[in-house]
Amino acid sequence: MKDSLVLLGRVPAHPDSRCWFLAWNPAGTLLASCGGDRSVRIWGTEGDSWICKSVLSEGHQRTVRKVAWSPCGNYLASASFDATTCIWKKNQDDFECVTTLEGHENEVKSVAWAPSGNLLATCSRDKSVWVWEVDEEDEYECVSVLNSHTQDVKHVVWHPSQELLASASYDDTVKLYREEEDDWVCCATLEGHESTVWSLAFDPSGQRLASCSDDRTVRIWRQYPPDNEQGVACSGSDPSWKCICTLSGFHSRTIYDVAWCQLTGALATACGDDAIRVFEEDPSSDPQQPTFSLTAHLPQAHSQDVNCVAWNPKEQGLLASCSDDGEVAFWKYQRPEGI
Amino acid sequence: MAGSQDMFDAIVMADERWVVGPGQRLPSVAEAARAWFHGEGYQEGYEEGNSLGIIEGRQYGTLHGAKIGSEIGCYQGFAFAWRCLLHSCTTEKDSKKMKALESLIGMIEKFPYDDPTYDKLHEDLDKIRGKFKQLCSLLNVQPDFKISAEGSGLSF
Repeated sequence: MKDSLVLLGRVPAHPDSRCWFLAWNPAGTLLASCGGDRSVRIWGTEGDSWICKSVLSEGHQRTVRKVAWSPCGNYLASASFDATTCIWKKNQDDFECVTTLEGHENEVKSVAWAPSGNLLATCSRDKSVWVWEVDEEDEYECVSVLNSHTQDVKHVVWHPSQELLASASYDDTVKLYREEEDDWVCCATLEGHESTVWSLAFDPSGQRLASCSDDRTVRIWRQYPPDNEQGVACSGSDPSWKCICTLSGFHSRTIYDVAWCQLTGALATACGDDAIRVFEEDPSSDPQQPTFSLTAHLPQAHSQDVNCVAWNPKEQGLLASCSDDGEVAFWKYQRPEGI
Repeated sequence: MAGSQDMFDAIVMADERWVVGPGQRLPSVAEAARAWFHGEGYQEGYEEGNSLGIIEGRQYGTLHGAKIGSEIGCYQGFAFAWRCLLHSCTTEKDSKKMKALESLIGMIEKFPYDDPTYDKLHEDLDKIRGKFKQLCSLLNVQPDFKISAEGSGLSF
């Protein structure tokens, strides 16, 4: 198991600061990182090494907490503690801030683009989730402000193919939203975590959602449509989400991020115990009650908390991670034989 | 401990104390008087506390209701004013603003002012707040007041 995760390289991405989050562009050629130094950096390869291609330092007054690429790869959104979200337009190696989205009362914690690229979601410590619509002239209009959570909202993520939005909060729940008559509504609340839910990831099919928490567990939730064969109760026409697996006993501290590889289905976690772990679903396990095995565990992946893990969308097994130590590391994950 | 338990019994079971079973002795006059006065004192105290509680609750309810009323009234006035301002605007952008405006006005009109026990009161209030924020964003105006951190009332 020790050799299943091999270090490819390490860069001091945000020196003397924390590196909070990473996002691969859809082509898998560029990695965006953001941090406590108020900047966003764009990384690409030159030969065998990773180099910084651009620094986006003029957009924000405070920590940049998350970044997200648009599905077309031409835009980058950055969410900051300065209560704004910047939209950057890519022009070869240059990035220009074309719009600043204002409206949240305080720290914006996360941003995510819908698969169509026409919708953007942001969330904040002000407990709200905002959905923005993008028109042809690159103008952003708020289409909904959702006040369903009772605490700080930590993360937002879109379903890989549908216009279904998920959010994770300090109120220990996950909420799902869909559009209904010109507005957005909360259509499901996933309860089970015993502490803050930090991050979320859909599996490649979008049928399952992984959530990770301060309670040191990862939970896997599965969508059950109305009148499903398994007899899981649904209210009205909305599908119901049920926790079908809890990964507990593997992590010794808060789990800050979970990433579900869209190519292989491997599940990686970023943990406050400085480690990176990878899990694989046991192929023979019951899809209604799957079991997962720990296939890689790197105890000192970073010298401080690991904040984010991100699978490359095109290259199988290429994993990037970042940490409070300000560094970004690149890893090659090899699925152990016999699994 | 045993003594205080007796006192407690005398208070809460003041009525039952007079029922004496076979083989039990009747209470002494002092015991009986003590129990009776305890019972009466308890009753008087309960009634006084109850009426004070009702007054306090009424004041709290009035204050809280007034806060919600003032907040919603403010949104309503804002929405009516903007409906007049946007009346003659007909671009596609304006129609989106108008839609959000009408939606906010509809939500305010549906809000049950006469039923403080309505179980979705806070849920509906949060939806109204969300719609108002969306509208401010669409109109590109900064609300000159802020919803307080507690999530209720306004601080101008």
